Amino acid sequence: MTTLSEPKLRFCTGNQMIAEGAVRAGCRFFAGYPITPASGIYKSMIDLLQRRGDVAISAPDEISALAYCVGASMRGFKSMTATSGPGWALMIETIQYALMTETPVVIAFVQRLGPSTGGATQGAQGDILLSEFCTSGGYTIPILCPSTPAECFDLTHKAFAWAEMLRTPVIVLSDKEVGMTSECVDFARLSNQAPPTRKHKSDFASSKMYDFAERVEVPEYLSVGGMGKVTATGSAHNKSGELKKNDTETLEVLHHLEEKIRSRRSELAVTTFDGQAGAETLVVSFGITARTMRETVRNVRRLGKKVSALSIQSLFPVPDEKIKEAMVGISRIVIAEENFSGQYRSVLAPLLYGKEVVGVNKIGSMITPAEIEEQIV
Amino acid sequence: MESAATTNHMEIVYERPVTLTDTPMHYCPGCGHGVVHRVLMEVINEMGIQDRTVGVAPVGCSVFAYNYMNVDMQEAAHGRASAVATGIKRVLPEKYVYSYQGDGDLAAIGTGETIHTVNRGENILMIFINNAIYGMTGGQMAPTSILGQVTSTTPYGRKSDLNGFPLKITDLVTQLPGAYYVTRQSVHTAAAVRKLKKAIEASFKYQPLKKGTCFIEVVSNCPSGWKMTPIEANAWMEKNMFPLYPIGDLKVPKQN
Ligand SMILES: Cc1ncc(C[n+]2csc(CCOP(=O)(O)OP(=O)(O)O)c2C)c(N)n1
Ligand code: SF4
Ligand SMILES: [Mg+2]
Repeated sequence: MTTLSEPKLRFCTGNQMIAEGAVRAGCRFFAGYPITPASGIYKSMIDLLQRRGDVAISAPDEISALAYCVGASMRGFKSMTATSGPGWALMIETIQYALMTETPVVIAFVQRLGPSTGGATQGAQGDILLSEFCTSGGYTIPILCPSTPAECFDLTHKAFAWAEMLRTPVIVLSDKEVGMTSECVDFARLSNQAPPTRKHKSDFASSKMYDFAERVEVPEYLSVGGMGKVTATGSAHNKSGELKKNDTETLEVLHHLEEKIRSRRSELAVTTFDGQAGAETLVVSFGITARTMRETVRNVRRLGKKVSALSIQSLFPVPDEKIKEAMVGISRIVIAEENFSGQYRSVLAPLLYGKEVVGVNKIGSMITPAEIEEQIV
Repeated sequence: MESAATTNHMEIVYERPVTLTDTPMHYCPGCGHGVVHRVLMEVINEMGIQDRTVGVAPVGCSVFAYNYMNVDMQEAAHGRASAVATGIKRVLPEKYVYSYQGDGDLAAIGTGETIHTVNRGENILMIFINNAIYGMTGGQMAPTSILGQVTSTTPYGRKSDLNGFPLKITDLVTQLPGAYYVTRQSVHTAAAVRKLKKAIEASFKYQPLKKGTCFIEVVSNCPSGWKMTPIEANAWMEKNMFPLYPIGDLKVPKQN
């Protein structure tokens, strides 16, 4: 007999659950700047962290907010900031700096309608390409995409694990509907464990800043203000962290930044597959639209149609094996996302060669079950 | 019933200037933004410069300024109004150019633009609405929030060790050689409104002299963000903001 714990129900927004997930993951530093629809995370982090005696501060803009987080993380503090499209644009410089210096940090990015100031209170899934492809050189930034408040908790928790273990910035890519809608969450079912933390160096004398033999290795951490001399730079550098041009070791470091993530893409894959035997159509979605998709699938199955569905929580690195597995026996793939061009569809395109691919796309309001259903034949 | 004779004798003493569109404003009851809009537009009308004036609005509660201000208007990205205004003024030096910004916009995310615009002595008028809060995004602490002020992000009140001190950016820009005329005004009484009007008028008269930046801070309110009635808000402003942000001129052009 299994014992189920008592449900502990609370009515929470996705934004609140990102904050809860961060604190549970051991986040002790938050810096924020107000922006709809992400301000709820800022407010919740102030409330949660200040009460615990941890650091939650207000920055004069998003450029500073992320830079404060990176500085705190250089000392080993798990750090997070939260923003939306306009603030993200300002953070791009420091995201690259965190990536280059291999400093873990989590950024909660709650999407709204763009471009520019766009629609502050209108939802969208229009920043898939902007958030992933924001680095000079084209490096993979891990992105997790929640579709419910409970997933906001779980995936933020996971984002900290990834940031720590991979020593890189990780994005939780939410959206206005998920972030600002209150729903019932059972806290008894949420993880009460803190995720793993980066490994710190013990041998300071011999240590290089970035000690790795193989490109895929994640070097142990040398934290600022500790026992060994830290040398970190956003410029191209060798394993000692010294600014260099294109000598072999420096190029090795530049390859390592990508390889440490790309080589782990199978273990990083997070998807939910709801397969049906005999189905020839597969619907793929993520974030708020994954919920519409799940509703659609329930509806059409009731009508006797066969359909499979794949919800993707880890958008990047692209969970290619999971997608290929879900495609077995499938001839038609419907990809639903709330942007006009099919941004994630364009990313998946090379994997879908030979299949009939259809996009369900829209801007300005959520995709409806009927709009997805139309494409299920 | 009114007789025709009476109507004919009625004199119009107050009306909407043509520079202000006939649009109901979206501002909360008691908010200072609407009054400043009105005064600014009255001056532009009375000086007859409507066709030669260009405004740049911020991101903040006054995003819709273009809806009310009947001159060429652009809403810049958050904090960049004075930078966009710089570009416009440099290619249209004969136009009257002004920026209109909140405290978050001008004194937080746009601090760099503010300092450098004034330091260059850009020949524009910068209007700064200081309501000690981020109004539009729901009442978070702004750089100008006063010590002890409770906001959604300072639930225990602003503390200097945690959040630093209120930024008196108007005092800061006064020090810059590019500043020509710097003043701090308010709009909570009829007398205050008249003084603000004079300051705006003077600023636009100075603009063709190409002597530098005119900078007007308006100490204002945010009844919604402060969670007060309009009357309480004005009383709170007088009691708590005026001592820190005293009304009056900070820099006036030398008489020659
Ligand atoms: C880069 C960027 N960050 C954040 C925002 C969100 N935002 C919109 S208005 C605003 C604050 C406005 O406050 P203030 O300038 O004081 O004007 P008020 O509404 O009080 O008049 C913020 C932070 C944004 N639009 N762009
Ligand atoms: S929120 Fe504050 S600043 Fe904005 S319109 Fe309302 S009272 Fe004015
Ligand atoms: Mg303000």
